[in-house]
Order: sequence, then C-alpha cells, then structure tokens
Amino acid sequence: MYKINKRQIFGFVLLAVFCMVPWVINNTYIIKVISNAMLYSIIALSINLIVGFSGQLDFGRSAFAGLGGYFSAVVFTTYHVPFIIAFIGGALFAAFMGALLGLLCRYSSFDYLTLITIGFSEICRKVFEQWYSVTNGSFGFRTSRPSFFGFKFNSQQSMFYFCLVLLILCYIVIRRITKSKMGRGYKAIRDDEIAAAYSGIDIKNYKMVCFIIGSFFTGIAGAAMVHYTMFAAPTNYTIDESLIMLQMPILGGLGSLPGSIIGASVLTLLPEVSRGFYLYRLLFLGILLVILMRFAPNGLLGRHGIKDQIMDYISERRARNNGKPDKTNAEEKVVTAHGRNHEG
Amino acid sequence: MVIQNLINALSVGSVYALLAIGYNMVYGILEKLNFAHGDVYAVGCFVTYALILTATNPFIAIFTGLVVGFLLNLGVERFAYRPLRKAGRIAPTISAVGIAYIMRNAIQLIWGPETFSFDLKIFKLSHFKVGNTQIGTLQIYILAISIGLMILLSLALKYTKWGQAIVCISQSIPTSELMGIPANRVIALVYGFGATLGVIGGLLFCTYYQMIYIGIGFAYGTMKAWMASIWGGIGSLKGSVIGAMALGISEVFVSSYVSSNFRDAFVWLIFIVFILIWPRGMYPAQISEKI
Repeated sequence: MYKINKRQIFGFVLLAVFCMVPWVINNTYIIKVISNAMLYSIIALSINLIVGFSGQLDFGRSAFAGLGGYFSAVVFTTYHVPFIIAFIGGALFAAFMGALLGLLCRYSSFDYLTLITIGFSEICRKVFEQWYSVTNGSFGFRTSRPSFFGFKFNSQQSMFYFCLVLLILCYIVIRRITKSKMGRGYKAIRDDEIAAAYSGIDIKNYKMVCFIIGSFFTGIAGAAMVHYTMFAAPTNYTIDESLIMLQMPILGGLGSLPGSIIGASVLTLLPEVSRGFYLYRLLFLGILLVILMRFAPNGLLGRHGIKDQIMDYISERRARNNGKPDKTNAEEKVVTAHGRNHEG
Repeated sequence: MVIQNLINALSVGSVYALLAIGYNMVYGILEKLNFAHGDVYAVGCFVTYALILTATNPFIAIFTGLVVGFLLNLGVERFAYRPLRKAGRIAPTISAVGIAYIMRNAIQLIWGPETFSFDLKIFKLSHFKVGNTQIGTLQIYILAISIGLMILLSLALKYTKWGQAIVCISQSIPTSELMGIPANRVIALVYGFGATLGVIGGLLFCTYYQMIYIGIGFAYGTMKAWMASIWGGIGSLKGSVIGAMALGISEVFVSSYVSSNFRDAFVWLIFIVFILIWPRGMYPAQISEKI
C-alpha cells in the first residue's frame, strides 16, 4: 500500500494554501506577478535539466521560449487552430528545433556549444524581428488568452490556476526524468564525461535527448507566457533575457529542482519590489553572482549549497556542544566532502 | 563595387582584429570564457572619453584609460577568477557574467545609457581615392596598428622570458609552477594586458565609428572578439587577426549582396557551419590541446 510520509503532507498543505491565494488576495497585480513567477519557474526547471543535470552551459534558452511562444500564437491566432493543439504544437516545435541544435551539439564540446547556442538565439531573434508577414516584426504579435473546450481563461484568477497546473505537471515530469536511468546518466555526464562513457552511457545521444526535453519545457512555458500576456515581441528573446533565465536555476542551486522554483521566484519578484531597484538591478545581480560562485557555486539548495553549509555548521556546533561527534553527522560530512571533490 | 566592399570589409575586420587580439590572449592561456572582457575595457574607454571631455591632453587621457583597464582587470582576476580556477567550467563563466553586469551597471550609473559622439583628437579623419574606391586614412592606421601589435606580441611571446612563461602556463599550470614560474602573477599580468589591449581596440573602434555607448563592451568586445578568436584559432594571435578579417568580410559581403536585415543571422549561420566543419579554427595554436 502507498504510504504518505510527513514531507508529502507538508507539500499538500503548502499546495492547498497556495491554491487559496487568488481567493484571499484581490489585488490582480500580485496575482499577475505570482503567475509570471510560476511560468519562469518552468523555464528555470528546464534550464536546470540542461545546465544543472547534464552540465551543458546553454546561453540561448530565451530563443526556445520565443520559438514555442511565436509558433503557438501564430498558429492559434492566424490559422485558428484549437488552442490545445497550438499550445502543445508550440512546445513540440521548440523541441524539434532543440533536436536540430542538439544534432549540431553532438559534434562540439563545451565552449563551442555555448557559442552555438548564443548564435542560434541571435538567428532566432533576427527571424522574429524581420519576418514581418508572419511575426509582425518588431511591432510584436498580438494573440489571445487560452481557451479549453469553450472555457476561456479571461480572468487573472483562472490564469493563475492555469499556470499552477502547468507548473505542477512540468515539475512532476521533470522530477521523474531526473530520477530515471536517463537522469542518473545526465549526472554522470556532468561529473565526468570520460568515466560516463566508460560506464556505457551514450554521451552524444544523451546530450541530444536532454536538449530535446529541455527545449520542450522551455517551449511550453514560452507559449504559456505569450498567451498570458497576449503579446510576443522580439525584444523579449535576447541574450540578456537568456542570461536572466540562466541565473534563476543557478541562484536556486544547480541540480536541485525546488531550488529552481525558489530562484525563479526571487528573480521575478525582486524587480517588482521597487521600481527604484531597477537602476541597480544589474549591479545587485552581478555582485550576487560573483559572491555566490565564490562561496557556494551550487546556489541555495544545490549540493553543498548555502542550505547544506548552514546545516553543516549547525550540526557541527551541536556536536561540539555535546562534546562528542554525532555519528549521522559524520556520515553526512563524508558524503558532502565526496560531492565537493567531484565538482573540481 | 567589389573592391570598395573589400576595402570596407578589411577596415571593419581590422577594428575587430584589435579587439580579438586582446580577447584571444586571455582566452588562449586558460581557455576559460571571458564574458567580462568587453565590459571591463569599456570602462577604460569611458574613462578616456570623460578625460577628453575635460580637455586633457589626449595622450594622457589614453594612458589613463589603459591604466584603468589594466588595474581593473587585475582586481577582477584576483577576486572573481583566481579562486575559481579549479572549479570546473560553469562557475568561472557565471562569475564573469556577474563581473560584466557590475561593469555595465557602473557605466550606466556614471555616464548613462546614451550614445555619445567620440573624437580622440589625434587622428585626422580624411580619405583619398584610388580609381573609384575610397580609402580612409584612419582605416590604414587601424590596420597598421593591429598588425603591428600582433607582430610585437608574437615576438614578445617568443623571445622574452615573460612571453615564454605565458606559453608555458598555457600548456600546463602545475608544470610551469614546478619550473619556478610565478603562475598567479603571470596569469594576472596576462589578464591586465588583455584588458589594456582591449582598451586600445575599443578606443580605435570608437574613433572609427565616431561614437561611444554602453554596448561597445558586450556586443563587440565580447561577442565579436570571441567569434573572431574561435574562427581564427584559440590562442593564436595570427589567427585572431585572420579570424577578424573573415568576420569583417562576411559581415560586409552578406549585408551588401544577401540581405542587410538578416546580416547577423547569416553571419552566425556561416560561423556555426564553419566551426562545425573546422572546430579548431584556421590557425590552431600548437599549444591548445585542452578542447
């Protein structure tokens, strides 16, 4: 029989409280911001799959959000395809382009891959900007809200639930992927490519499949984002946007899925806290990144990240106060030290 | 028309070449992506610009800009790159992105995001005609400076003790430490001189286009210089000049014969196809074995 542990109960309670948010808060602005954070969380999760789990530094993620978004919007608005087909189609289109890019990346290693992804995102941006007949160029493309079987998501509250359901679905699927054989393969590739190859992991195919899956989720989030704001403009899909998206999982912790959601929430909510902050946004982010990389390269919740360091410190203090070393603590420290060695 | 395009391409390429030399020197030695290169030297260029506005002697202004770039990159190397030298590939790259953000925001806070007109006041801008083609004197100066710098640096790398130390470090840091080379100091100096070369390139770039703005760092100093470095061959100075010329030629010819709207897209496409076929660039340095 399936047993429910404490953690799951906590999760369900949290989820139930979160579902109440639109009923308690009437301010549509806040709901808008939270929905936006949820959509960015999906993108952060997909980036975490590519950067955090399989260790490929991808600087062109916003292009895939754009591909998914534009495809879905154009097909839905210009060709009047049912929403669900357009929506999934956008994600599949992004996945298809991801497969093309992955095909290129089969033959290239680290730096080249980063450069190719940047180049790909620049090409995509140019196409969005210049292909007037389809994308309406730099004026941006207008579309409408999603509608399922006659129900139209017009209000902010309904969009909130739409984003929430999408986030939960994507989270579950990505979590299942990372726990599967393939996910363990990604981690092996990240830690040591040569050792992974000797263990019989088909590195090139794994990387390509990783790109396809990641692009699918980025595309689905991009499509949802476009339908949510009812607008797509090429200025949303620049390298700077990619870098911001990349920082979300890095802040939360590479290799930690809840961390990605936290990182995405922090980075989407911070600029909304005060408009005056906008001027100093890059300065703040820059200092944050440098300090984070210096002291906790795996972010808040990653392996040996800030959370682990704090926990280590607390248990060390407790052990010292007790006068004898805690056995479980000692074991834990061996594990983290081991993990630390693998990063280098 | 073709000859005029070729002349334009060569002059655009020689501007990129100056930027690429500085980038490639740093890139070749550690093979770590330096995302902050452009934004760091942009600060030096802006310092020179501010000093020229206050009617300082242009040579003093340029010298100050060079020194600022040098010191800035020494500091950046010390605090952002050195502690992460052994931390894999993702962490130093992200740290460099952070530095780039800090520099860009500093420029934006001090000088603002506008485009300013820029004049170094030491080159006389004129041009002469050979048949139907127009050649600017500045373009010749820039080409001469970049090729001169390339030759000078190649000689310095080959015949001075410090140059040999740099070559040694780019092959293996532990071995060079065993040989008694102060690796940390040499790497810091390489970063410093990389930024200095970047400032020279940036100033000539601004003089060529007669304007200075916040984007000279990232769009040109980082992206184009990076493309040129990989095109020519990582760690090869000759390669970076040739790669920059290839970049300039493809830019000018694509925009005049294919489509000026899709220029960047086509240049990237050519570039991606090129590096897939020829991943080590045109002149792979004998020393680069890491990628």
